[in-house]
Amino acid sequence: MTETDARPGPSAGAWARVSGWVRAVGAWVVRTNRRTPFRVKVALVWVAIFALLAFFFWIAQFDNQWMLDNFTYIAKGLQYTLYIALGGILLAIVLAMLGALGRISSNPIAYGISGFYVSFFRGTPLIVQMFLIYLALPQVGINLHDQFPDLFPQTLANQLVLDAAVAGTLALGLNYGAYMTEIFRAGIQSVAAGQGEAADALGMTYRQKMRRVVLPQAFRVIIPPTGNEFIAMLKDTALVSFLGVAVANAEIFRRSQLVGKADFQNLEALLVAAALYWGLTIVFTFFQRRLESRVSRGYVRTSDRLAASSEAQAHGGGGGGVG
Amino acid sequence: MWKSSTALAGVAVLVLSIASCGSDERDVGASGDEPAPEGGVCDTTDASGDLLAEICEKGTLTVSTDPAYPPQSVLNEQTGELEGFDIDVATEIANRLGVSVAWQEPSWDLITAGSWNGRWDVSVGSMTPTNDRQEVLDFTQPYYYTPAVVVVHEDNTSVTDLSTDLDGADIGVCSSCTYEQYLNKSLDIEGFTFDFIIDDVDPTGYDTDTTALQDLALGDGTRLDAVMTSLTTAQGFIDNGQPVKIVGDPVFYEPLSVAMDKSSELDNATLLEAVDQIVGEMHDDGTLTKLSEQWYDGTDLSVQQ
Repeated sequence: MTETDARPGPSAGAWARVSGWVRAVGAWVVRTNRRTPFRVKVALVWVAIFALLAFFFWIAQFDNQWMLDNFTYIAKGLQYTLYIALGGILLAIVLAMLGALGRISSNPIAYGISGFYVSFFRGTPLIVQMFLIYLALPQVGINLHDQFPDLFPQTLANQLVLDAAVAGTLALGLNYGAYMTEIFRAGIQSVAAGQGEAADALGMTYRQKMRRVVLPQAFRVIIPPTGNEFIAMLKDTALVSFLGVAVANAEIFRRSQLVGKADFQNLEALLVAAALYWGLTIVFTFFQRRLESRVSRGYVRTSDRLAASSEAQAHGGGGGGVG
Repeated sequence: MWKSSTALAGVAVLVLSIASCGSDERDVGASGDEPAPEGGVCDTTDASGDLLAEICEKGTLTVSTDPAYPPQSVLNEQTGELEGFDIDVATEIANRLGVSVAWQEPSWDLITAGSWNGRWDVSVGSMTPTNDRQEVLDFTQPYYYTPAVVVVHEDNTSVTDLSTDLDGADIGVCSSCTYEQYLNKSLDIEGFTFDFIIDDVDPTGYDTDTTALQDLALGDGTRLDAVMTSLTTAQGFIDNGQPVKIVGDPVFYEPLSVAMDKSSELDNATLLEAVDQIVGEMHDDGTLTKLSEQWYDGTDLSVQQ
C-alpha cells in the first residue's frame, strides 16, 4: 500500500451515497414544489423581498428611533389626506357624470363644453391646475370687483381667495373628473342599445330612460375603475402640500416634510410617508376588490362562483393577499 | 338627476367643512388665543380705510412663515405650536401693534412671489430684501443679519482658501434664494455691496437648503463639492451629527427684513411705517439682541458685522 492509497478519499461507495442524497433532496424539492400551493410560493417570494428590504434598511442605517417618535404625528395627517381625496372623488364623480352625458349628447353646447373640459384638464399637469386655482381665481375675483363693483361685490371676490386645501381638492376633482368622464362615457355606451330602444318604446323620457334603465346597468362597468381612480387620487393628494396647507390640518406628505426638514431627517420622514400611503392603498384595494366582485355578482356563472368560493376557503388566511 | 344633485350637495358640504376647519384651526402658535394686548400702535393711530386700520379692527395680524427652517421657524409636533426666532419676533411686533398674531404657512415661493391676495398681512420669514423682490414686496429695515458660509464634506481637505479653491466647483444652494444669486454674481440689494470671491460656478438649485446639505453629506464630491447656506442652518445640520464642516469666514452677511405685499388691495403705507418703527425700537431696547442670543446660542445677529 502506498501513502496515496492510505489517504481516506472518497471511495466509489461514498460517491454513490452522496449522489443518492442529492437525488433524494432533488426529488423532495420537486415533490414539495408540486404539492405546494401557488399562493404559498407567492408568499415565500414576498418574504424574500421583505428580507432583502430589511437588509437594505439595516445597511442604510436609518434613524429608526426618529421614525418611531414621529410616526404618530405624520400618521395624524391620514384624516386630512382622506378628506381631500373624498372631497376630490365626490366632485370628480359629479363632473364625470355630467361630462359623460355631454359627450354622448347631441346638444352642441353640452358636447362642446364637455369636450373642452376633458381636453383641458387631461391636457395640463395636475400641479399646474392646483397653482392656477390657488393663484388665479383670487386675481379674477379682485379684477371683476374692480370692473363691476355692483355686479360682483367684495364678499364674492373674497370667496374666491381659496384655502390651499380647498384649492387642491377642487383641482383634484376637476382633473380626475376629466379622466373619469371617459370611463363614464364608456360605461354608458356599453349598455346594449336595445335597452335604450326598449325604454324609448315604453314612452320614457330621456331622464327616465337614463335613470331607470341605462345608468343602473352602466354603473356595473363604472364602479370598479372609479375605485381605482380613488386609490390613485389618495396618492396625488400629496401634491396639495406644494401650495402650503395650514400646519394644523396638514396631510401626510406635508407633515413628513415639516418634521423631516426641521430635524434633517428627510429620508426617514419620506419612508414613514411611503409606509402610510402604501398601508392606505392596501386597505382600499381590499375594499375595491370586494366592491368589484359584488357589482359583477349577477354576471358570474353559478358554477364559477362556487368554485371561486371554495378556492377562497381552501386558501383563506394564506399569505400573499397583499397588494 | 337627483343622484348628481345629492352628490353635489355632498361635495359642497365636504368642501365647506374643510374650509371651515381651516379657519377654525388657523390660529396655531404662540399667542393665538390670548386677548389682544392693550396700549399698542392701534390705540394711537389715526389710520382709517387702509391695511393697518383693518388689522386693528380685526385685532389680528396674520403672519406667513415656513415652519421648516430651524431655528427661525419650526413646528413643535408635540404641542402643535410654532417656535423659533422669527416666531418670537413676529409675536412681539403684533404685541406692539396691540393685536394678537395668527399664522399662515404657505410655501416659500408663494411668499416671495407677491400677490398674496390678502391671505396674510406680513411675512416675518428671514427674507432678504433683494432688488428683485422689492419690485413686488415692501420691506422694513432689517431686523437681523445672517452670515452666509460655505460648507464642505468633513473628508474634504482641498478647500482652504474660499477665493481660489471653489472656482468651478459643484455648489448646491436653495433655488431662487440669495445664495444662488451670490454665486451667479447677481445679488443686488440697495445700500449693500458684495464681494463676489467665488468664480465660474453653475450652482445646483434645491427646494431648500437642507436637501442640498443632505446631498453633500453623501460624500465629498459624490454629488456636490460644497453647499452655501446660512451659518445657522449649517450649524444646525452639524449639531445633528452630519459629516460636514464649515470652511473659512462668512462669505457675506445678508440683511433680513419684514415684508409686505405691494399689490395688496388696502394701502399698506401706514402699516409699513408702523412696523418699521417697531423694528427700530426692538433694535434700540435690546429685544432683538435678547431674542437672537436666545435662539442662536448666545450670538447677537441683530447688528451688522
